[in-house]
Amino acid sequence: MATNKDPAAKIASKGLDIAYGQRRIVGGLDLVIPAQRFTALIGPNGSGKSTILRTFAALMKPSHGSILLDGRDLRGLSTRDVARKVGVLLQGAVAPEGLTVGDLVRQGRYPHRSLFSRWSAEDQTAVDEALMLTGTADLADRALDSLSGGQRQRAWIAMTLAQQGEAILLDEPTTYLDLEHQVELMNLITMLVEKHRKTVVAVLHDINQAARYAEHIVVLKDGRITAAGKPEAVITAETIADVFKVKTVVIRDPVAGTPLCIPL
Amino acid sequence: MSRILAALTILLALLVAASLALGDVSLTWRDIYHATTGTGDADPQSVMIVFDLRLPRVLLALLVGVALATAGTITLAIMRNPLAEPGVLGINSGAAAAAMAVIVLIQDPPVALLQAAGFLGAAAMALAVYALAWRGSTSSLRIILIGIGLSSLATAGTTFLSAFGDIGSVQRAMIWLAGSVYDANMVKVRLLALWLIIPVMLAFLASRELDLICFGDNYARSLGQPVDRVRGMMIVLVTVLSGAAVAVSGLIGFVGLVAPHVARRLVGASHARIFPVAALIGACLVVAADLIGRIVLPPLQLPAGIVTGLVGAPFFAYLLWGRRHGHE
Repeated sequence: MATNKDPAAKIASKGLDIAYGQRRIVGGLDLVIPAQRFTALIGPNGSGKSTILRTFAALMKPSHGSILLDGRDLRGLSTRDVARKVGVLLQGAVAPEGLTVGDLVRQGRYPHRSLFSRWSAEDQTAVDEALMLTGTADLADRALDSLSGGQRQRAWIAMTLAQQGEAILLDEPTTYLDLEHQVELMNLITMLVEKHRKTVVAVLHDINQAARYAEHIVVLKDGRITAAGKPEAVITAETIADVFKVKTVVIRDPVAGTPLCIPL
Repeated sequence: MSRILAALTILLALLVAASLALGDVSLTWRDIYHATTGTGDADPQSVMIVFDLRLPRVLLALLVGVALATAGTITLAIMRNPLAEPGVLGINSGAAAAAMAVIVLIQDPPVALLQAAGFLGAAAMALAVYALAWRGSTSSLRIILIGIGLSSLATAGTTFLSAFGDIGSVQRAMIWLAGSVYDANMVKVRLLALWLIIPVMLAFLASRELDLICFGDNYARSLGQPVDRVRGMMIVLVTVLSGAAVAVSGLIGFVGLVAPHVARRLVGASHARIFPVAALIGACLVVAADLIGRIVLPPLQLPAGIVTGLVGAPFFAYLLWGRRHGHE
């Protein structure tokens, strides 16, 4: 594995068209999500980032084309099969009133349980591990609506971890968080990818955040890929000007050495 | 949890005992004890009052309460709307329209036919609402909106029939619709109990599905739940439960709305805990409503549906008020 420079694809789409009714959002998308890497999807509003994420999680059906998850066609998998492989954190997730963090994370075991199966030791281990990894073990008995935005976000990520899928899809996980909690969350993602071999795909709004933390960046415009690859290769003044219509200077981040773009 | 269940069970037992004792002819505790155990010098008249008049009535009220509360709990979960109750599926207005049609069109219909019509009307409306709301998948908002639309259509039909029907028939229909358990007997009680046992158990078994569907369609689906199938099956359960309740007792409002809300406040968000508590609360509410309706203005009997409305509405307002101020 260590010498594998071109890791296998976790999720791949071929000729993917996605539409809301008659309006086509994504057209002819050939996208590869490398396994055990942190991939960021960036692009202006309406570029189809969230739609792609939802389609990868089988929450939307593509109008054309196919999606391969671990090399298997998504259409051949049941929602339960998909839920065992892929966890999703959507924007504006709302839990029922009064629910505790523990209750929330336990829901992550749903795809692993049958109607009559009891709560198993395996379920408990998965939940404990998810709470520990996200640093939410102390909050397990707290009501979700009593937590700060950052804590709540980590609790939701814990739920997706309890699913024990290898891939986690996050839709703008850092939006509305203050800087401290943004950094905390990005470090959590990095840790999950590096130490626990998760494949993480996140839609991010902050280009510099994507450049700093992600290993693979996909830049989208009008439902098509403009550029994809390592941050150094993708984040250039030309690409940013083309996609975001903003003139920038790209310099080296003095701390991490990654590209840092500064609007003119 | 067990404390709450014990307290509610005791409350229900007291209400049942009071319902057996109080009425036009008040019985002493000793009379009831002798009548129910058959010991001592049981007075045949009090035996008759307890077993033939009051016991079937209180048991029927209890079962109707359980059915309404269980259906309400399911509806609240699958619609994800705090104001949703089985009525949003058109169940009440469908039953009302069908019953009115039977009463007005057939002179002096047998009670069984009336009940069958009520149930079929409820089921037909629930089916129509679900079918019209289907657009490749279901959405709770679409179901609610179409439910409201079809309900007003059915209500218009009911009003039309009552405007042109024979005045005596219309009045009989109105009494039935007001929601009452006055013509109870043991056969009815047994039938309703048999009818309810399976759907109530299925609902309880589906607790985990309901816990998850509360998160919203996208999340439930992302965790592997076949949301449309679960919602469809739950709507069938709601129809079977509240359709039966409407058929035997007419329209008893607010129980399906109040019981699950109170239960949720008492025991939290898990449906495995909500169901038993809500069922007991529902039973207490309907038994109490029937008892109050019988004893406040004797010899007049207020239908239980009117009492639940009178008691339920302010109680519900109080709940919402408490939530507004108790939140911080």
